Amino acid sequence: MDSWSLLLEGFATALQPEYLMWAFIGVFIGTAVGVLPGIGPAMTVALLLPLTYTLDATAAIITFAGIYYGGMYGGSTTSILLNTPGESASIVTAIEGNKMAKLGRGAAALATAAIGSFIAGTIATVGLTLLAPILADFAVSLGNPDKLALIVVAFVTVGALMGKSVPRGVLSLAIGLFIGLVGTDALSGQQRYTLGIPELNQGISVVLVAVGLFAVGETLYVASRMRHGGVDVIPVTKGWRNWMTKEDWRRSWKPWLRGTAIGFPIGTIPAGGADVATFLSYAAEQKLSKHKEQFGRGAIEGVAGPEAANNAAAAGVLVPLLTLGLPTTATAAIILFAFQSYGIQPGPLLFANQPALVWALVASLYLGNVILIVLNLPLVGMWVKLLQIPRPYLYAGILMFAAFGAYAIKFNITDIIILLIIGVLGYFMRRYGIPVAPLVVGMILGPMGEGELRKALQLSQGDPMTLIASPFAAIAYGVLVVLILGALWLRRRQTRYEQHLTESIAVPIKADQEV
Amino acid sequence: MTAPITGANGRAEETRPAPRVPIGELVFALLMLALGILALVGAFSIHVPVGIQVGPTVFPIAVSVLLIGSAAAVLIGVLRGERAEVEEGEDIDPDASTDWVTLAKIVGAIVVHLLLIELIGWAPAAAVLFGIVAWALGAKRWWLGFVIGLVVALVVQIVFGGFLGLSLPWGPAFGWLGGMF
Repeated sequence: MDSWSLLLEGFATALQPEYLMWAFIGVFIGTAVGVLPGIGPAMTVALLLPLTYTLDATAAIITFAGIYYGGMYGGSTTSILLNTPGESASIVTAIEGNKMAKLGRGAAALATAAIGSFIAGTIATVGLTLLAPILADFAVSLGNPDKLALIVVAFVTVGALMGKSVPRGVLSLAIGLFIGLVGTDALSGQQRYTLGIPELNQGISVVLVAVGLFAVGETLYVASRMRHGGVDVIPVTKGWRNWMTKEDWRRSWKPWLRGTAIGFPIGTIPAGGADVATFLSYAAEQKLSKHKEQFGRGAIEGVAGPEAANNAAAAGVLVPLLTLGLPTTATAAIILFAFQSYGIQPGPLLFANQPALVWALVASLYLGNVILIVLNLPLVGMWVKLLQIPRPYLYAGILMFAAFGAYAIKFNITDIIILLIIGVLGYFMRRYGIPVAPLVVGMILGPMGEGELRKALQLSQGDPMTLIASPFAAIAYGVLVVLILGALWLRRRQTRYEQHLTESIAVPIKADQEV
Repeated sequence: MTAPITGANGRAEETRPAPRVPIGELVFALLMLALGILALVGAFSIHVPVGIQVGPTVFPIAVSVLLIGSAAAVLIGVLRGERAEVEEGEDIDPDASTDWVTLAKIVGAIVVHLLLIELIGWAPAAAVLFGIVAWALGAKRWWLGFVIGLVVALVVQIVFGGFLGLSLPWGPAFGWLGGMF
């Protein structure tokens, strides 16, 4: 167990000028795209997939690590400086951060978010370094029924527990599983649901589904009910050198650490990713704060804690992804696909078979964090400019890159047709309140789950008891039951806080209007 | 939501409009139900090779059943009055009604783009896509979208097609540029 020396070797790889440059490019583009309004982390990663088509595996994965962290971080800038939150993980950041910005303390909000993200990301990456090899060692001994059990856990948590409505989440998961079935069956070589169209023989590419749902679907949705008129970006006071006062530091450092402690474990377990973590962190800060009256009116703790939790969860999500091959968010599912397209299968054997690559990736996560803070503090002015891009050109650009990404897979216009069909599906799913993340996860994990299921049953000659016979699988299903109960409890809390928050925001707004 | 409050004379006061029957939501759930049934029927037409314990139809049948079950559950939920939550976003006006004309223009732009790629080259076709979408979304000067689109598309084509070696078609207008790489 000398993961530290392996990590040092990883640093030696990641610090080579070429790879360092790719890490820098990844963080830069990831942040730039993540800052763009209307683009969440999943869309950022999906849209930037084609960027790595031409790179070698190590460079591509280092670039991706940067894009992932950059995209995660970029969203917080948007929520602080624009008046409405984007993805659900930045709702709470938007609440306090936006209020701070309106009070002329936008620079402090951005700074506490950036430094908090850096600290949380670094601590969480240390956690990943310590935890991942142990988990991978253990996971090597897992059989087919055990892996199936893990996949079922992911299905249930992502499909049923993440969204607001269980049937809608499961429906989305089922659509994803169905899309995953299209193509030639890997085990028997039979064609399924190809409708005699030769382009469908190899199945529908995950890139098409991810870009179609997130980029095309989202653009169509925005276009159908666009907010016309000017963009309200809150100006940031010049001179980023005086971003945080001593008082701000004193009030921020504990929320950063608490946010990390909340975010990393929640990211690690398949329980809904970053948004749950941010809400829990916000709740904790509100309870512990000495300045309770400021919450809802621009309390710096309410930015520091949730932002730290958000980034710590982002690193936590990588633990099951790398060691078990199990994506627990849509973003992680797209990253898994990116690995697979280089012939790399994340999972227990990854640490044994390709240590150089894994540790270069982990090292680049540390570097990515440093690059993130180096870029973000001085470049705030540039990100603000990005927020002001006129919306018609912004969405025209998103669609152009989406079509480019689809066409560049095989240089076949059939792929653009599939992209368009999936985009229209994504539009209607958004319009009718059906979450899209379970679809992506179902589509990627479905074929893996089917393989494990059939191999397991083949070995047991069709006896289904084999699926729960191994202690690990039995425990996993047991934990699943506990997770369901726990998540239901968490969701109740989250709804309560959301309600509470809307009330506590509504009050000051009304008060303002009356003045 | 609550029923509209009726005033003393029995007419509905101007409060909220009564909840409409969500036809679109029902149609979507029905379509998914139909997809599930088609998938189930299709599963039985998959060829199963002899001598296989667990063939290629087992999982499709399970998925079809899940699809039918969840679509039915959503359908029942909608009929019992559950409504989709409007998603929030930076550029979304939650009170706006759906602008079908703009949607049709954008879908049309993508279709035109994919038809043009092999005729006039990738960059010009991408510029057409960019221009139509920008115009459909209300850009102030309609021609500016095409100009910006062409510049961005040429940069993409030169970086990815020229330097990184993706084989994007250059088309007749920019064939000379492609010849330089």
